[in-house]
Amino acid sequence: MKKPRTEITNESAKFVLNAYRPNGADAQDPVFRVALEQAARDPELAAWFKEQRSFDSLIADKLAEIQPPANLYSAILAGIANRSPIRRSNLRPLLALAAVLILSGAILLPFYLESLSTSKSIEQYQRANLTMLSSSPAPSLDLVTADFSRTQEYLAEMKAPCIPFLPGSLLDLPTAGCKSLHWKGQEFSLTCFRLPSGELLHVFVIDEKAFRSINVGDKFREMDGWHVKCQRRAGMLLMFVSRASMAEIKQFI
Amino acid sequence: MTHEIDLEAVVGRFYTSLYRFALSLTKNEAEAGDLTQQTFFILAQRSHQIRDSSKVKCWLFTTLRREFLRALRVQSSHPHVEFRPEIHDGPSISPDALRALDAKAVIDALHQIEPTYRTAVELFYLSELSYKEIAQTLEIPIGTVMSRLSRGKEQLKAILAAAISENSDKIIPLKRDEEAAH
Repeated sequence: MKKPRTEITNESAKFVLNAYRPNGADAQDPVFRVALEQAARDPELAAWFKEQRSFDSLIADKLAEIQPPANLYSAILAGIANRSPIRRSNLRPLLALAAVLILSGAILLPFYLESLSTSKSIEQYQRANLTMLSSSPAPSLDLVTADFSRTQEYLAEMKAPCIPFLPGSLLDLPTAGCKSLHWKGQEFSLTCFRLPSGELLHVFVIDEKAFRSINVGDKFREMDGWHVKCQRRAGMLLMFVSRASMAEIKQFI
Repeated sequence: MTHEIDLEAVVGRFYTSLYRFALSLTKNEAEAGDLTQQTFFILAQRSHQIRDSSKVKCWLFTTLRREFLRALRVQSSHPHVEFRPEIHDGPSISPDALRALDAKAVIDALHQIEPTYRTAVELFYLSELSYKEIAQTLEIPIGTVMSRLSRGKEQLKAILAAAISENSDKIIPLKRDEEAAH
């Protein structure tokens, strides 16, 4: 028995074919079958479909010319490196470590509580960083490179925190380099960017767990001749420091 | 199928199309970069919640759009849309005229499409999502996607045709000047 031919109006076929992707990825989708068969039979619909596909391809090609900033890929990877999920294969040793830590914690808790009374404050941390930046001779960077991705790779190798989130405007700035640092037993990092004026923009990153409580404003303030701003992102405390003019800094942060 | 997500591979595969989508939403390169980073950061935090890795693509586009809307603090309900019959025979644009446009002009044209239709069209062209994936990303029925694509693409054609016509009006008739000089 001959299979009955399904017919739809050209208007209905056009309605459906508008969703047909220009790369042909929908060729096997049965939703388009009847409309495609209709286009094969009807010259007017076929002409419309040909023109539509040509239009779609040109638009898709034009939009494919847009390229993301050079550093975006590295910035994303650096950001997620701080928050990668725990892999199942790593759970067993981590659980063993957790057990040890719990036991140690029970023993060391009284000492820890005592230490909190003289705990690290953000103010102390900021002052320590500014003192280091102002010291003479200036501290040397571990790695000197203009490539942001290399700075973050280096910091990851050194087990120092990477920048979890780079403001979009900084993506195109070259870096001066980076440094892995310690403050009261806590690892942290410094990445330096070169602003167009030649001044540096320093970005310190430390795990916010280093502090008992964090209360930072969202604006820059003046400290010892530096413009300073702290920002919490993704479990990290970012500290932006620069001697550039505020007008220039605001273009980037 | 459930398996672990390779984050680096996912970033490499989708960051360009996500950035393009973000740029079409924000029209600002810095904000588009921020939005793209934020989306992958959320993925890294919640990747254990995604049970089906084949859904990562839709999840990324949905999350990026949600983050964009959250940033805008859109509180108003969807704008009222007047019902109009389907029209599939909009202005015809010559392929050469289209090729002469730059990507920014196309992005600008996309931005002029009515908001109700715009996102479906952007997802269609910028991320090559299928109509089913667009429905999933925007959380709307498949029929609505087709309707939005149909109307949105007609609007896009009309906007581009107007832009091309406007540009062609600006061409200085050099030949006539040369003739006048002789």
